[in-house]
Amino acid sequence: MTLADSMPGPGSEPRQERHKALLALLLDNLVWIILLFALACFAIFIPKFFQIGILLNIIEQSTFVGIIAVGLSLTLIAGQMDLSIESVMALAAMTVALTFGTGGAGGGLALQPPWLAFPVSLAMALGVGALIGWLNGTLVVRFEINAFIVTLASYIWGRGLVVALSGGRSVYGLPDALRGVAVTRLLGIPMLAWVLVAVYAAFALMLAKTPFGRHLYMIGGNAIASARAGIPVARNVTLAFVLSGTLAGLAGWLLASRTAGATANPGIGMLFQAFAAVVIGGVSLKGGQGRLSGVFAGVLLLSSIQTAINVMGMPPHYTMMIQGTLVLAAVLLDTAKNGLRRRYL
Amino acid sequence: MALLELAGIRKSFGAIEALRGVSFAVSAGEVVALLGDNGAGKSTLVKIIAGEERASAGRILFDGAEVAFADQGEAKAAGIETVYQDLSLCTNLDVVANFFMGRELTRRVLGIPFLRDRAMEAETRRALEAGGTRIPRLRTTVEHLSGGQRQAIELNRFVHWGGKLVILDEPFAALGVEQTRRGLETIDRVRARGIGVILITHVMAQAFAVADRIVVLRHGSVVGDLRTDATTPDEVVHLITGGIERIGQPTTTQGEPA
Repeated sequence: MTLADSMPGPGSEPRQERHKALLALLLDNLVWIILLFALACFAIFIPKFFQIGILLNIIEQSTFVGIIAVGLSLTLIAGQMDLSIESVMALAAMTVALTFGTGGAGGGLALQPPWLAFPVSLAMALGVGALIGWLNGTLVVRFEINAFIVTLASYIWGRGLVVALSGGRSVYGLPDALRGVAVTRLLGIPMLAWVLVAVYAAFALMLAKTPFGRHLYMIGGNAIASARAGIPVARNVTLAFVLSGTLAGLAGWLLASRTAGATANPGIGMLFQAFAAVVIGGVSLKGGQGRLSGVFAGVLLLSSIQTAINVMGMPPHYTMMIQGTLVLAAVLLDTAKNGLRRRYL
Repeated sequence: MALLELAGIRKSFGAIEALRGVSFAVSAGEVVALLGDNGAGKSTLVKIIAGEERASAGRILFDGAEVAFADQGEAKAAGIETVYQDLSLCTNLDVVANFFMGRELTRRVLGIPFLRDRAMEAETRRALEAGGTRIPRLRTTVEHLSGGQRQAIELNRFVHWGGKLVILDEPFAALGVEQTRRGLETIDRVRARGIGVILITHVMAQAFAVADRIVVLRHGSVVGDLRTDATTPDEVVHLITGGIERIGQPTTTQGEPA
């Protein structure tokens, strides 16, 4: 006697099973296939596109959007969202630049020994991010305010604070200890690219293989059931926001390092790119869905298109038009994918 | 000895008395159908049993000891749980993840807990087989499973984690005929493993198909506590609607309010 519907349909044949597994694999990694296809097209049709330098540049370019997209993914998977990441990144960058910058609006703090600037500035950036993340998380969890509203507010006041702090002036002249990460290479690959890959590897592992990661998916899928199963929902959601803020802080620190200071209003527009990458990567706004490998491919895809447009010498607003179209295409593709899954898997 | 014994349970919400001294018992390996019209006090009663609400008066004995659960967590730890349809599963995750929800097996590497997915899958498979449930692919997300399969997962999960008394609140409300039949079979198997079951249903046929006893609530009181084989659907309907005032004695009289 079996309770389950255990119909031995055609799917039970091993060959069919293999086909199904292959189809599932293709659907799960569709963004990577699209990315490879796009890169192949660019390589064929755009002269001088296929060079190691350009490919490395694509990854390096992706660093800031890529890292804040991880935080956005964490909160989306947990059924929330974090719109504040761009402003948090800018605020972290501005804080570091104002403290250590020697030119423009910079305060010119010089530590002894000079290398101290590295850990101190990093701690500042991460601290700013964690603090705003904690504030967002607490407002969402404790006061039960919609995450969209809370983080939209943080996005707005964060931006305002950045400009208020800089007084509209840019900062330049960061100490060498701070510049290191942006200008050094390891095994011929820019350090920024390593950091990006390391962040993705660490957080992908966390999501897929640790109880905390699994609980985020559960909370995003069914928060009531998670609470009933004894999962500390409030704590985990708050932690997701703190991690998102901290990652944005890291991105800000890297941005300051990269630009050797901060423009008056750094990183503007990156929220929308991160959002696009996350959606293209298959993270659902409904919560509980998506993997970081897809997001990484999404980030690289956007960056590749941007680079291709640059190399072709087209005006940059084409990038935005294409990216906007891509987001819509991604959502439609997601629907089509689900249809295929339902029918064949 | 009874697994669960309710004695003179009362519950008031302001001036409204939802329960007016309810007493009945459930034994291990017994299925008790709880029937009653809307507003008879069924949901309030099961919420009290499952620790979601506190009784205003009365005693609850579980496993021979008096209990007063502060919340659902305590009731669950003691082995009492309400299985709601769909409410207790994350349909975006696979069977294994759901089975181990909140109780994941981990191995520490450098102090970081990592999931032991393979061990969890093996244990899930064993537990489902022991419960007589066959789900071919444990890595399928639950959203692709039928309502009956989902219920089977929840019930097996409950039994596997040491549950002793399960409350099923309208478990077949959304199921078709065939799935309901299978669901009733699952209840049979759960009973055979020595679990006490309180089944709330509106469908007389289901109560008669699976229950050992039928307890009828009306206006917050037990008006009938009958062996299923010693009564008829007609009689029960009359009890529910008030056509018959009261049949049978409450299984316990101790702790009746003065």
